[in-house]
Amino acid sequence: MTHNGTRLGRIAAYAILGIATLAALFPIYWTLLTSLRTRVAIFETPPRLFGGELTLDNYRTVFADGQFQASLIITIVVTVLATLIAVVSGSFAAYAIARRPRFRTRRPFEGMMILVRAMPGIVIAVPLFQIVVGLGLYDQPIVLAITYAAINLPFAVWLMVGFISGIPVELEESARVDGASQFRILRSIILPLVAPGLAATTIFVALLCWNEFLMPLILADQAGKTLPVYIAGFVTSRTIEYGAMAAAASLAIIPIAIVTLLVQRQLVRGLSLGAVKD
Amino acid sequence: MSSQQEPPPGQVRRYTAAYLSPGWLLLLGVVILPLLLGLWISFRNGSLLTPTSEFVGLENYRDLLTSSAFWDSVKVTLIISILSLAIQLPLGLLLAIVVNRELRGTRFFRSSLLMPLLLTPVAVGLMWRLMMNVDNGVIDGTLEMFGLPAIDWLGDRTMAVVSVVIVDSWQNIAFVMLLMLAGLQALPVSPLEAAQVDGANTFQKYRHVILPLLAPVALVVVMIRIIESVKLFDIIYILTGGGPGTATQNLSLLDYRLGFTFLETSRAAALGVIITLLMFPLYRLWKKANP
Repeated sequence: MTHNGTRLGRIAAYAILGIATLAALFPIYWTLLTSLRTRVAIFETPPRLFGGELTLDNYRTVFADGQFQASLIITIVVTVLATLIAVVSGSFAAYAIARRPRFRTRRPFEGMMILVRAMPGIVIAVPLFQIVVGLGLYDQPIVLAITYAAINLPFAVWLMVGFISGIPVELEESARVDGASQFRILRSIILPLVAPGLAATTIFVALLCWNEFLMPLILADQAGKTLPVYIAGFVTSRTIEYGAMAAAASLAIIPIAIVTLLVQRQLVRGLSLGAVKD
Repeated sequence: MSSQQEPPPGQVRRYTAAYLSPGWLLLLGVVILPLLLGLWISFRNGSLLTPTSEFVGLENYRDLLTSSAFWDSVKVTLIISILSLAIQLPLGLLLAIVVNRELRGTRFFRSSLLMPLLLTPVAVGLMWRLMMNVDNGVIDGTLEMFGLPAIDWLGDRTMAVVSVVIVDSWQNIAFVMLLMLAGLQALPVSPLEAAQVDGANTFQKYRHVILPLLAPVALVVVMIRIIESVKLFDIIYILTGGGPGTATQNLSLLDYRLGFTFLETSRAAALGVIITLLMFPLYRLWKKANP
């Protein structure tokens, strides 16, 4: 549905797009700018919207005690593990759901997916904390990975069901007639065809894991201090260092901004998922 | 179509069960067992301060349901839901309509509009704390430059709620836009053509044809935004910590504070059960939206 519209309509549309884009990008710009400013410049009134002397001092402050680097590594490890677990188990479940319309545990499984997607994390976190501490597993990155994988499972399953359903079932049937084993069908027929979808799912789930805050806040301390927990520390400390806070926030958002620009289409698909049918 | 080519049913059942087992295992360990344990804890008087606990029946539920903290946080959650819907629904629809025109440069605009949606919520909270802070924030600085009074965005009880809604909307309007855009692109063509033939102008087309057709999408948006308002945690935690006082303490934050600030495990677990039950109509609605 595209309409040509009048000249006036076009101008109005561009005005709306322009204002909205400015509103979307300004906070990002301002954070980056603040992160590059000196303490004096940050407190300047009235605020200067651009220019001024720039410095990397705030980044030096952030890097100084090594915690940022440690948190970065922890976050990468936990994100990779969690994404792997979620995408692999989600893909298998999705295959069953996409290919077998009826089976006994289908409805409860789908009910669980909705429950997990809709329930606040804190509801699980309170008793999960008891379990984790009781088992002596507090502050273990692997526990974080498993937890992230479970709470993001619905996204992996729903995305993969969409992708697998798109593969004609006749391809599998003819292979089966030719005597291919189930394993062989998965490896040689499904996997190559679903690879782009698998990539999209992986990227989306990884992003969600990267951003997760509540679970590491509750289930971990030092060994599992992920980036969101680390940067949250900048507001709870007694003296707020605005420059360092902006630098930490910038370091957290720069990789996401880059990823967004590179793989936007895949992310869009994940975002509107479970909300609208394909 | 091809039932004679299907593998023997025994084999099918076996692999279906096998394929779901990793998923069930995850759900069992991280969701189902904790929920059951939470239910059990909620009938006891456990806390992180005392090693032992005993059965107290429904006492935690009674205490919660008669406490002002609980009802205040229900109110805060509802206010945040309603305000954020009031902002995000019309603006998201407007952006979707504009982006859907596919004017030159739309790709750039759309990428830019989507960016906030993907950023780490904790970082988003920090960014806005930087801008909304009353000492040297850029928002108050700009207001003062135009001779307007500074606003205590995060320190005033009313403004703190508004601020949470602003930041939540800044991050999530693009989500509403995406759903609306998908809705617009899936519109059936025939009613629109009929309107065209009848000589309807653009406004009439939207008022009488497009908006009514978008109503189901709007319902989904309403449902998801309510769910997200209950779940909203990271942004509030960073921006206001639930304060000033309890002005921005929604259900998630109250539950967190009960469990991990006041260390009242059993009461936090009971609140978790109440939240799960409160949201039941929403789960059902969601299921209906996605048969």
